[in-house]
Amino acid sequence: MHSMDSIYHLKREKLLFTKYQTVRSPRGSIPGIPLGGNNMWLMQYRDLIWNLTITDLKVKYQSSVLGFAWSLLNPLLMMLVLYFVFANVFRFNQEHFALYILVGIIAWRFLANGTSTAMLSIVAKPSLVTKIYIPRHILVLSSTLSTFISSILEFCVLIPLLFIFGANITPYILFFPIAHAIFFFIVYGLSLVLAALYVYYRDLNQIWEVVIQLGFFLAPICYPITIVPPQFLPYYVLNPVTILIETYRNFLIYGLPPGLRSMAYLVISATLLMVIGKFVFNRLERRFAEVI
Amino acid sequence: MAGNQYSRNKKNPDHDDAIVVENLSKQFRIPHERKITVYQHLAGLIAGSYSYEIFDALKDVSFTVKHGETFGVIGPNGSGKSTLLKILAGVLYPDCGTVQMNGKIAPFLELGVGFHPDLTAEENIYLYGAIMGLTKRMVASKYEEILDFAELKRFENMKLKNFSSGMAVRLAFSTAIQTNPDILLVDEVLAVGDESFQKKCSRKIDEIRRAGKTILIVSHDLGMVQKLCERCIFIKNGTIISSGDPDMVIENYRKTLSSHS
Repeated sequence: MHSMDSIYHLKREKLLFTKYQTVRSPRGSIPGIPLGGNNMWLMQYRDLIWNLTITDLKVKYQSSVLGFAWSLLNPLLMMLVLYFVFANVFRFNQEHFALYILVGIIAWRFLANGTSTAMLSIVAKPSLVTKIYIPRHILVLSSTLSTFISSILEFCVLIPLLFIFGANITPYILFFPIAHAIFFFIVYGLSLVLAALYVYYRDLNQIWEVVIQLGFFLAPICYPITIVPPQFLPYYVLNPVTILIETYRNFLIYGLPPGLRSMAYLVISATLLMVIGKFVFNRLERRFAEVI
Repeated sequence: MAGNQYSRNKKNPDHDDAIVVENLSKQFRIPHERKITVYQHLAGLIAGSYSYEIFDALKDVSFTVKHGETFGVIGPNGSGKSTLLKILAGVLYPDCGTVQMNGKIAPFLELGVGFHPDLTAEENIYLYGAIMGLTKRMVASKYEEILDFAELKRFENMKLKNFSSGMAVRLAFSTAIQTNPDILLVDEVLAVGDESFQKKCSRKIDEIRRAGKTILIVSHDLGMVQKLCERCIFIKNGTIISSGDPDMVIENYRKTLSSHS
């Protein structure tokens, strides 16, 4: 009986060892998971990804007195300022201008906050890079996810305002989650590139801040797209963020159906950014532990 | 995808060995001037100064560790011990050579990796558990055991920033030990907490050894290596000087040390 037991034990052990076999070579670590596809890490590390995301949110909202309320007050106050300036000083003829600005700002905040916090995500947790092996893009992913959740909450606050300001609400509003999911991959792809580069170039955050400032005025956030001179318009709409913000407004304020061409353009840009992001990140990731 | 192909091309792995290291080399480039900003890189491009020195941390290192063996790595400071351990843990990539690990690894390079001061002890246990590769359910089932072992049940809901460093380390060790690994990579972290907790730790380590787990220890504590290890290697300047029976290797190490002073 005893020998049977030990044979069984040995067999089980061998199976386990094959399961966890790892080969490390100059070409990278290859966890030998049977049938391990490319996205196996997502399942294996889902508890960790979720835990890091929640930790991020907890710490962010714990450290301020008003906590979570701040993240909602902030865009509201900013909208108030911009609305005052643009409605009284510049006087654009745009239907539902308050909502128009608010949707633009909330969408833009996801991009601005998401990229600038995710950029620091690798450098902010050096011990998770130099003292233990976890797939490093998990750090970027969980940082982007936590901003994504904040952004979803901001949009939730927007919903009562849509009714108050009398937006044209139609079933097309249900397309909003799809657009936001596409936006997530745009931000995640960008963040992968930025986070990997930031490890090597520590003044990138200063440069990126300027780019974000510039982008704020290059996208139709606080002015209607109609004021863009027609000769620049073809270049202006190349910016996926422009298309995205306009799409959000169509769904949320004007109750319009999604445009096939703009949706296709968004999916293509998101895919492209993800591919570039993964490629750059995997390339630069090798020496993270040496330079961090 | 290319990676998977690579592992398939390898000859059938020998499951008698827990760790197989073959012709491992690692170089570090140490720039004369460390450039860490875009500005410095641009300035460097114009001035044309991209000089660096090459430092061989590991040169053609090969060894194997059998399943169930306690294996020691000793050597003076800067000999490449930590680099070796980091490559085994997957933190650093080797320049050439391969490392094969047959089993689930628990790297104890540092205890409490990822601990967050603003979280409570409970939240930190779940976070650190997840980092060490435990699922939420596994941590939940071991939760009481972890707190009991750390003797911190009373402080369950206290924030980690109010913990003493000894308490934090105890919490980390108790959590990390629950990973139930096949291969333990240890970098002198056995000496944690006060004396009574240290005794508890070494009992736990002994328990793990007797359970037939593989342990690789990097240490300066020759006495401990002698006591615990079945085999060990002595590394100096990135190459293995001697390997085999700990008594012999340690004697060799001591001789090299005294011949230098």
